[in-house]
Amino acid sequence: MKKYHVVVIGGGGTGAAIAYDLVKRGFNATVLDRGELTSGTTGRHHGQLHCGARYAVGDRAIARECMEETNTLRKIASESLESNYGLFVALNDEDEAFAPTFIDACLESGIPAEKVPRKQALLMEPKLSDKIGTVVQVPDGTIDAWRLPLQFFAGAQQGGAVIRPFCPVTGIEIEGGRAVAVRIRDLVQKKDERIEADLIVNATGAWAPQITKLAGIDIPITPAPGTMLAVRKRLCNMVISHLHPSGDGDIIVPQRGLSIIGTTQYKTDDPDDIKVPREDVDFLYRCADEMVPEFSKQPFHAAWIAARPLAGKSESIEDGRGLSRDFVCVNHGEHDDVHGLMSVIGGKATVLRAMAEKTVDAVCHELGVQEPCTTTETPLPSHRQYYRKGAK
Amino acid sequence: MSTQERNFRILRGGGPSGTPVEFKNYSLELNEHATVLDALEWIRVEQAPDLMYRHSCHHGSCGTCGMTVNGKPKLACLTKVEDLAAGDIKLEPLVGMEPLGDLAVSPVSLMSAYPADSGYIRESEVNKDAARPEAVERFERFENCIECGLCMAACPVEDEFQGPAVLAALNRELAKTPERRAEILHAAGRPDGVYRCERALECSRVCPTAVYPAKHIMELRKELEKESGAE
Repeated sequence: MKKYHVVVIGGGGTGAAIAYDLVKRGFNATVLDRGELTSGTTGRHHGQLHCGARYAVGDRAIARECMEETNTLRKIASESLESNYGLFVALNDEDEAFAPTFIDACLESGIPAEKVPRKQALLMEPKLSDKIGTVVQVPDGTIDAWRLPLQFFAGAQQGGAVIRPFCPVTGIEIEGGRAVAVRIRDLVQKKDERIEADLIVNATGAWAPQITKLAGIDIPITPAPGTMLAVRKRLCNMVISHLHPSGDGDIIVPQRGLSIIGTTQYKTDDPDDIKVPREDVDFLYRCADEMVPEFSKQPFHAAWIAARPLAGKSESIEDGRGLSRDFVCVNHGEHDDVHGLMSVIGGKATVLRAMAEKTVDAVCHELGVQEPCTTTETPLPSHRQYYRKGAK
Repeated sequence: MSTQERNFRILRGGGPSGTPVEFKNYSLELNEHATVLDALEWIRVEQAPDLMYRHSCHHGSCGTCGMTVNGKPKLACLTKVEDLAAGDIKLEPLVGMEPLGDLAVSPVSLMSAYPADSGYIRESEVNKDAARPEAVERFERFENCIECGLCMAACPVEDEFQGPAVLAALNRELAKTPERRAEILHAAGRPDGVYRCERALECSRVCPTAVYPAKHIMELRKELEKESGAE
């Protein structure tokens, strides 16, 4: 087969997994990021490995995919995961009424949700509030939001991908209705460059409209920033979630020596112009204390904010929660008459590999390549491999 | 919320492009919660779109944003501007890593120095006797070390030295894989190993995640002494 060259714009988790999948299917791949890898939304993730329980009531298909991808990541990237399961805890009568629906939805999505006696739950996590009611155990976990993508980048690099942080894209060249090259500014070498591509994948998440604009295309993405708060003590081993329909401040994720509570959600126009609203910090402390009362007594570690990319126009929504968390791969050849350019929109950290598989399936279809995806079986190289001498 | 204007003197240029280095000034209004990384983000957005610095997690877990802040190695994301002395704030790239330009550095030499096959997962020390889900053999967690290189930058040893981060990782491997004892102690006892340490303890002082590398170096020394005593 002809060795096609695919340029991936965006060095977040999605770009990492796409580059890995591309080289595994025989493509040449170049990844470009305007700054350091995972310096946009990916790295600032609170780190929950979502088994899908949180989504099951709303969307069984997404929940099922999360479960499958959780299992796959445990197989191929175990060094970037704390695989300690999670507990959903009911805190009031409304939660209790919701519990049976929640458990049924999980089981229907292939998630082995299991009711745990209250006493047993307190033996698993002694710092849980003694006011908890029904407790449901699910196979959640914790992701290292920097090292998991690095493992994919290491695999991509091993397969010949060229990964170039600090190379912002300044233009997309279109000839005869087809995107044929990107222009970049290489900040490391301080020079401008033109890179030819058989296909360009825009994987810049909340920044995607800025890239498509270079090709004269407007795409509907709403940056939805959310605040996270970490205290300097690991209070639990399992992920603790509020057993209710999705809402703000309902997940405590342990990670290393930290406990992290997330998150809130707004909508904004500019993903670069985000600041932690201070009222969020007090709100998150209160939410965390309802589940783990010692949370707010621990030393403050950090509060930060990340702009998730949600598919949809901001006018059509109240607070961002109405927007889909699903992932869409848009072929701009079909939608905007600019061939050779695709944008991947939305999605979740846990399903980065599956998003990459669907994207590269679409790339293969577009370029007439028939190669199956093979990213579910082989364990990825260590995150450090990406930076080892001679690895490039 | 109170705000205050602060001036940052940032070392620009350098790296493979051979651009001459010079300090440039950037002033901005900051609230009392702002970190050095927050300030860099806003400087990049509002004043210097081509400013290079590394960052990812913004909460001290990735280890990418190490830099020299007023002469000391620090993580930009965990350093509150308000806690720095009044006057200009001087930012330079982290010592001991290859400069890429501005404040960005390459961690290749550090990452290459870590023991090749060392794992990143350890048993959790929290609630050790707790009950567990049937499918969870043991509660586990990531290693404390976030590979930021601050300890390597702070270490005053001038001779060839594997350095605190690498030796701490070796001691963690010894704890996790006692069957590799001979090989690990051999690496630790090399001429560039634990005996180069001058016990200045700077590594433990600057470590943002309480790895206490100096303690690991002392433990390795003790293990080496046991070995030589046994011979």
